[in-house]
Amino acid sequence: MSTLELVGLALSRLGAARLRATMTMLGVIIGVASVVALVAVGDEAALGVTRQLQSLGLNLLTVNPGMSASTGGRPSGTAQTLTLDDAAAIAGVTGVAAVEPEIAIQTQLTAGTQSVTTSVIGTSADYPAVRAYALTRGSFFNAVSVDNSLRVAVLGAQTAKALKLGSDAIGSTISINHLPFAVVGILEAKGTTGPVSNDDLVLIPVTSMQHYFNNTPRVRSIGVSVASAGQMTEVKSWMVQLLERRHATAAGGADDFVISDQTQLLGATNSISALLSVLLGGIAVISLLVGGIGIMNIMLVSVRERTREIGLRKAVGARAGDILAQFLVEALTMSALGGLLGVALGLLVSIGIGAATGWGFVFNPLVVLVALAFSLVVGCVFGVWPARQAARMDPILALRYE
Amino acid sequence: MKLRLPGLGRAGAPVVRQAKPPMIEMHGVCRSYRLGEVTVEALRDVDLEVRQGEFLAIVGPSGSGKTTLMNIIGCLDRPTAGDYSFAGSPVARLDDDALARLRSRAIGFIFQNYNLLPRTSALDNVSTPLLYQGVPRRERSARARAALEVLGMGDRAGHSASELSGGQQQRVAIARALVTRPALILADEPTGNLDSASGADVVARLHDLHRSGHTIVLVTHDADVAAAADRQVHVLDGQLVA
Repeated sequence: MSTLELVGLALSRLGAARLRATMTMLGVIIGVASVVALVAVGDEAALGVTRQLQSLGLNLLTVNPGMSASTGGRPSGTAQTLTLDDAAAIAGVTGVAAVEPEIAIQTQLTAGTQSVTTSVIGTSADYPAVRAYALTRGSFFNAVSVDNSLRVAVLGAQTAKALKLGSDAIGSTISINHLPFAVVGILEAKGTTGPVSNDDLVLIPVTSMQHYFNNTPRVRSIGVSVASAGQMTEVKSWMVQLLERRHATAAGGADDFVISDQTQLLGATNSISALLSVLLGGIAVISLLVGGIGIMNIMLVSVRERTREIGLRKAVGARAGDILAQFLVEALTMSALGGLLGVALGLLVSIGIGAATGWGFVFNPLVVLVALAFSLVVGCVFGVWPARQAARMDPILALRYE
Repeated sequence: MKLRLPGLGRAGAPVVRQAKPPMIEMHGVCRSYRLGEVTVEALRDVDLEVRQGEFLAIVGPSGSGKTTLMNIIGCLDRPTAGDYSFAGSPVARLDDDALARLRSRAIGFIFQNYNLLPRTSALDNVSTPLLYQGVPRRERSARARAALEVLGMGDRAGHSASELSGGQQQRVAIARALVTRPALILADEPTGNLDSASGADVVARLHDLHRSGHTIVLVTHDADVAAAADRQVHVLDGQLVA
C-alpha cells in the first residue's frame, strides 16, 4: 500500500468526520499560527527598529559633553565642554564625511497669527547629510548662509504644520523670538524615536544662533557622519584621541565627552529579540504539545470506535504494519494539515500586524519550515501509540466488538 | 513466503484432481483458552479434510465450538495443539504477518453482520482486500466492479452500506470475498441476519459460486441452510460428531 494511497485513505476518513478533524487540528493550528505570527512580528519589529536607526543618520556618531555613564560620571549634557572649535577639528579627522554641531534654545515662533514654542537649533549646512533628513520643499541653507549669519530657517514637518505653513511656505517669513527669518526649506517627516519627535524643530545657521540668540561657543552635541560603516570604530578612536588632546585630559583620567553610536541601541534590540525567541520557542513547544495530546486523544477514541473496521481489514489481509501505517498516517495528515493551516493563519496575522504598525512584513521561510516539521514530529510522536493499539488488535475479538 | 495454491481453473471451469493434497487438512486440532485459572477446551482433537472444489457445511448449536473451528480454518487463529495445513502451509507455525498474507491471497470471508466499512462505497468496500495485495488503483476498481456485477450489484457500486438493504449488503460482502479469487470462501452464518427470501438468495449465490469451481466452507446452526452443501460435519462440545 503506497504512502499516497494511505494519505488518500486518511483524507477521505477525515473528510467524513470534518468537524471532529477540525476541532482536533485546532490545537496544532493555534500553536503553529502563534509561533509563525509572533516570530514574524518580532522580525518586523526588529526591522522597524533597524530602519529607524538608519533614518536617524547613516554611520552616525554623536559626541555629547559630559562623562560616560559607565565610568560613573555625571550624565551627558550637564557639562558644557564641547565647542564649535572641537567640531571644526573633528571635521579634519580622516574618514569623517560631515559634521554638524548643535546649539539649541527653546523659544517662541510666530507665523502670521500662529504661534508655537519649540526648539531652535543652530547648526551647519551638513545637518541633513549627517541626520539623514530629506526636504519636502525648498532647500537646506548652504555654507554661504552660515558664513554670513543669514536669517534663514528650515522647519521640521510638524512645526511647519503647527504654524499652518503650506505650499506657499518657502520665502515666507516667520519670527523667531520676535526676529524675522526667511523660511527656505521644510524637512520631510520622520516620525518619532521613542517619545521624541524628530519633526518638531527649527534649524538656523549656527552663526546666526550665536549672533542673535546665544553667543556661546559651547555646543550641546556634535553629529558626525563617517564615510563608511567599516571605519566607525577607527574614526571613533581617532576622535577620542583628538578630543582628549584638545581637552588636555590627564592620562587615565575621565573623558569629559561621550561618543555614542547605534551599535549600543542595536545591541539592546538584538538581546531583546533573542529573549523573545526563547519565549516564543517555549510557547511553540507547549502549544504543539497540547495539540499533539489532542490528536492522540482523538486517535485513541477513533481506534476504539473503528475496532470492527480494524478487525475486518485484518481479516481480509491487512498486516499489523498496514494498520499501524494507516492510523499513523491519519494522525500525521491531521497534524500536517493543522500545521499548514496554522502557517497560513500565522502569515495572515503577521501581514496584518506588519501593515497596521507600518513595520512591513518579513517572510521567514525557516520559521515556516521548522513549524511544519515540528507539527509533523508531534503527529508522529502522539500518533504512534494509538496506531500501535490498532495494529495489535486481535482480529477475532475486533470483528466481534460491539 | 511462497504459497502454493491448488490449481484453480478460470472462472467456471473447476479443476478437481483427487491426487492433489486436500486444501484443508486437520489432525488432532485442539484450541484451548485460559480464562483466569480455568482452561476452556473450545476444540478437542478435531480431524477434518476439505478438498478443493468442495462445499462443506459445519453445523452446530451456538457454543459448540464451530466459530472457533471457523477462525482456525480461516487462519485468524492458530490451534494450540495438533496440525493444520492450509494448501500445504503449516498454519500453526506461521507468524501473524504470514497468516495475514495467507488470508489476503487465499481466503474470502463472509460474515453474519456483513462487516462493510461505514461511509464507504460498495465499490471501495469490495476493493479493500485488493489494497492489501498491492493491486494498483485502476485494476482494483475494475476487479471490484466486475465482482459486484457477478453479484448483480453493479448498479449499486456508488452506494454506501447504510443505503443498502441487508440482502444487498451481504451481496456486496460476497463480492468482497470473491474479488481476490480466493482458494477458499468461508461464510460464517451468512444468512443469520437476513429475512428468508434474502437468506435463500445468499444460499443460491453460494451455490452458484460452488458450481463455478469455488471451495466453500459454510458455518451455520441452521439445518436448512446447511442442506445446500455437499457435505456436512457437526460440531458438538468442541468435537466433530458423525
